Amino acid sequence: MARYAMVIDKERCVGCQSCTVACKSEWDVPNGHARTRVRPAGTRGTYPNFSSVFYVSQCNHCDHPTCVPACPTGATTQEANGIVTVNKDLCIGCGSCVVACPYGARYVSPATDKVDKCDFCAARVEQGREPACVETCPAKAKMFGNLEDTGGKVFDLVYREGAHRFETHDIAIGPNVYYTGRQDHIEMAAVSFTPHPPQVLAAGFVWTKLAKKMVFLAVGATFLGQAVAFFRQLAVGEKQFED
Amino acid sequence: MPFETIPAIPVPLTAAQAEIMSQRQIKKHHVAIVLLHWFNAIVWMLELATGSALVVGPGYRFMPLWYITMMQQAFGTSANLLRFHIAVGLTWTVVFLAYAIFGWRHYLHAEVLRKEIGIDADDIQWLRIRTLKLLNRTKESLPPQGAYNAGQKLYALLVYTMVPVIMLTGLIMTFHLISTTLVAWAMVLHFVAAGMVVSGLLVHVYMGAVFPEERPAFYSMITGLVDELYAYRHHFKWWHEVKVEECKWAHEIEDASLISEQATPVGKAGATTP
Repeated sequence: MARYAMVIDKERCVGCQSCTVACKSEWDVPNGHARTRVRPAGTRGTYPNFSSVFYVSQCNHCDHPTCVPACPTGATTQEANGIVTVNKDLCIGCGSCVVACPYGARYVSPATDKVDKCDFCAARVEQGREPACVETCPAKAKMFGNLEDTGGKVFDLVYREGAHRFETHDIAIGPNVYYTGRQDHIEMAAVSFTPHPPQVLAAGFVWTKLAKKMVFLAVGATFLGQAVAFFRQLAVGEKQFED
Repeated sequence: MPFETIPAIPVPLTAAQAEIMSQRQIKKHHVAIVLLHWFNAIVWMLELATGSALVVGPGYRFMPLWYITMMQQAFGTSANLLRFHIAVGLTWTVVFLAYAIFGWRHYLHAEVLRKEIGIDADDIQWLRIRTLKLLNRTKESLPPQGAYNAGQKLYALLVYTMVPVIMLTGLIMTFHLISTTLVAWAMVLHFVAAGMVVSGLLVHVYMGAVFPEERPAFYSMITGLVDELYAYRHHFKWWHEVKVEECKWAHEIEDASLISEQATPVGKAGATTP
């Protein structure tokens, strides 16, 4: 079994957005949305020692995804290979998972009214191909591989060279997109794109904290009432009419 | 039966009268309503069975996991379960839309609703005494009731308010209408509305299928008929109405036959018109 991960070399990334475009065309991502995109985090130094810092945002296929338990219908699940997927046949587009993701990786597609996000190009990976963004990247800044493949490049970068995870003390859910490159670049991006705490929709809060109790109480109360009436009926015996 | 002999308030019946009345049947439900009732019952069974297995997110889930797994396996996948739930729900909505359109004047007009399911002073008393009776706390007799007793009326009010909510929220979720926020709230309302109906449904099913005194009401949902004795004892105001109506018809027929006897064929009836 595989355990997929991605490593992004920030030193190689020049922010050309080729990955964004490749992904959009591969998955027909509607305008105004993206499964992955390159976001500028600012600049470092002065000319001639000048550099731009970029952060590539996408689904991190976390070890402990907050989006999975947030889904009421069970449409969002995690495969054994670590890929977090959305079952479009089950998704009703309620947006519960969108606010639950600390990385803002999800959106409700206006084209399908279902939630969409990066799935590491699972369909391509199944065919033995690389994700579209990885294949496209002209600088080879994006690397995709199996963390259980001890001889692989990704394994090396993650376990031997200590690639960085975008986590905070509070939000440490094990993202499987890692970053390498200059420490100051990574820190800069980490400040600009800190994961935000997972949120719960007001509707979801009402369901879990109020609606469920209300329904249980109402159904339980009538059930008890009926039980009392039924045992009384057994005790008294049946009669067709009261006179 | 002449008008004068119809009692305005329930009076004790002799054994002979009760025997005769128990043999006579009154029509309570149109065959379309009987069919609609059982169609509705089947839909509710299917929708509750599938719908409760569709909520699987921790925190949201209210059915045990073994049940959800069992339903998923029975339908192959959760997606099939959802497709089935939606297909049955849409069919249900379309059928009831037809009922609402064609049955408006007969069943849903404001005046009809006020008369059939509006709560009056007798109903309040009925609810009080009925509850005490169930607990064996009173010997009072129940006040006379219309075509539906106060309990049935309360249940009807609950169903009449919740069913449109269930249908609307179902449509919002199925077709992702208006906005994502609305879909999220539709989910909650769909669950709460269905839950409220289920709490009433427990009473409805118990009263209909288990409670001995209401057994004729259960059979009336099959034959459309109730015996007059049951109508007299459980729905006196309705029984009274039916009898008065019958008398009116009898009188009209009598009058009509009298007129036709008196009327001699006059050939020149239309001659005076210019």
